[in-house]
Amino acid sequence: MENIITKYCIIQNRKVIVNGETQFEDNDNLEYGKLMKSIYKHYQIKYPKYFKMDNLSKLAFLGSEILMQNKDNIQDIDPAKVGVILQNTNSTIDTDSKYVETIRDKSNYFPSPAVFVYTLPNVMIGEICIRHKFQGENACFISKDFNPEFITEYVTELLDEDKIDACITGYADYFDGKYKAMMFLVEKNKENRKDNISFKPEIIKNLIK
Amino acid sequence: MNTIYTVSNNIITSLGFSSKENFDALKKGVSGIKETSDPEITQIPLNVSRVDSERLSNEFNQIGNSADYTRLEQLMIISIHDALKQTNVDTSSGETIFILSTTKGNIDLLEKNNLSFGKDRIHLWKLGEIVSNFFNSPITPVIISNACVSGLTALTTGAQLLRKGKYKNAIVCGGDIISEFTPSGFQSFKAISPQPCRPFDANRDGITLGEGAGTIILSSEEKHVKEKNPVIFRGGANTNDANHISGPSRTGDGLYYAIRNALTDANKTDENIDYISGHGTATPYNDEMESKAIAWAELEHVPVNSLKAYWGHTLGAAGIVESIAGIYSIKENCLIKTLGYSEHGVSKSLNIIKEYKKTTINNFLKTASGFGGSNAAAYFSELNND
Repeated sequence: MENIITKYCIIQNRKVIVNGETQFEDNDNLEYGKLMKSIYKHYQIKYPKYFKMDNLSKLAFLGSEILMQNKDNIQDIDPAKVGVILQNTNSTIDTDSKYVETIRDKSNYFPSPAVFVYTLPNVMIGEICIRHKFQGENACFISKDFNPEFITEYVTELLDEDKIDACITGYADYFDGKYKAMMFLVEKNKENRKDNISFKPEIIKNLIK
Repeated sequence: MNTIYTVSNNIITSLGFSSKENFDALKKGVSGIKETSDPEITQIPLNVSRVDSERLSNEFNQIGNSADYTRLEQLMIISIHDALKQTNVDTSSGETIFILSTTKGNIDLLEKNNLSFGKDRIHLWKLGEIVSNFFNSPITPVIISNACVSGLTALTTGAQLLRKGKYKNAIVCGGDIISEFTPSGFQSFKAISPQPCRPFDANRDGITLGEGAGTIILSSEEKHVKEKNPVIFRGGANTNDANHISGPSRTGDGLYYAIRNALTDANKTDENIDYISGHGTATPYNDEMESKAIAWAELEHVPVNSLKAYWGHTLGAAGIVESIAGIYSIKENCLIKTLGYSEHGVSKSLNIIKEYKKTTINNFLKTASGFGGSNAAAYFSELNND
């Protein structure tokens, strides 16, 4: 059976695009942290843990929050069968650099556990899982560019083999002030409708153009 | 679906540069953990397992110029080179994919602000390019950074890509180095034991870190199999605790799901599991969580060990090097004792291996858990004796 994208969200160039529609746009040239916070407010998200996340986790978390709004049907799925599979390019080098600053000066040595814990890229997946209690397949793949062929093939197999029933997937990356999230909620198709969006690489390439 | 053979492997740790050298040390109960005050990696005395640097560059210089490669690249390339020597798998064909797992890659370059290898070299995708290009691979490698379960995620991913015939061979290599980054971070969590770690013990007080690389070559092609009764990768799974980003589940649910799902993936319907290669980091919370997950899976009676007191927690390599030790336990029909364990210290009555012993081993389950709430499990068994 075909798997379909039931919602998608792109965060880049100061815009949030959901299912092809621009829902948020920043015209004030906000710096990254403030931009993310205004997206957080725009979608009326209430999750205090957000404020301790690093730049990468904030981005992936907001993408997943936007995907999950008004998607109550996902909460009916066994949480052990909801997967979170993401790609990323620059791992956590942003946070790694911040952590390195805390250990560089031996006379002012203050390694911070709160920073260190965000020096693993799969922690963004953990944050999304914690928020929704998702316990299914999860993996963080690193590639030079977003690779829709790889991710669709990997996630499709998990869905087709019934290892998961739904998946938050796609790409989230933050490095050197530049950010990009392209995230997709993928579900098994229950009824054939004309406006269904197939979970296929060529379709994804079109959606993110 | 294709059968996934494990056709060759290599381990590089403080205990040696081949799987055999490493496994012989495990059989004898030898640990590679030593105390160091090397200012390059620690501000206070630290127990750690490190690969011998002189031997590393000597070994590397036999196949390349060590000045052109970082420490981690050298480890991974030597490991893959040694595993390839034992097979005819062609890395320059489009049928062979490289799958690399690491948590921190070339993190030492970032720490030292070392730009001599070029600014891209700190990126994990670049590490993948460097390693796969060394072996003339025409295919973009898959890189996995899934915390401490990365190695098992890499093996499961490799098997998934081979099962349906997308590729015929997968070179699965995991590695991480010890620099100041990781020890200082775990120290800030107060998670490092002042002594060599003591998995599942009542007095355990934290992890011991280790560096190394491990490679398993998976193939769906029988022609690469040299043994009569090879070890097969039967199934694997990744799950999440969805509980806390730096602390394991209190119930063991995530790891239990990983075990359950891996055995389902392996079509394992009977209860005959000969051995569990646990994660056993020796932090109070991890080992307790593991004991609950193993009990939940009704596997308390199965002999279980942790190998962390031999070569430390090798992070991105751990799932691979510990799986290779499991393969050797099958080949040599023996069980390795849990070094560092003396007094039972977890709430469930696990069957912890206390002494090296010879016994028939046809299969094993490997488990891992890590930051970000990640868990993974994989099941291996002989072709003719599941």
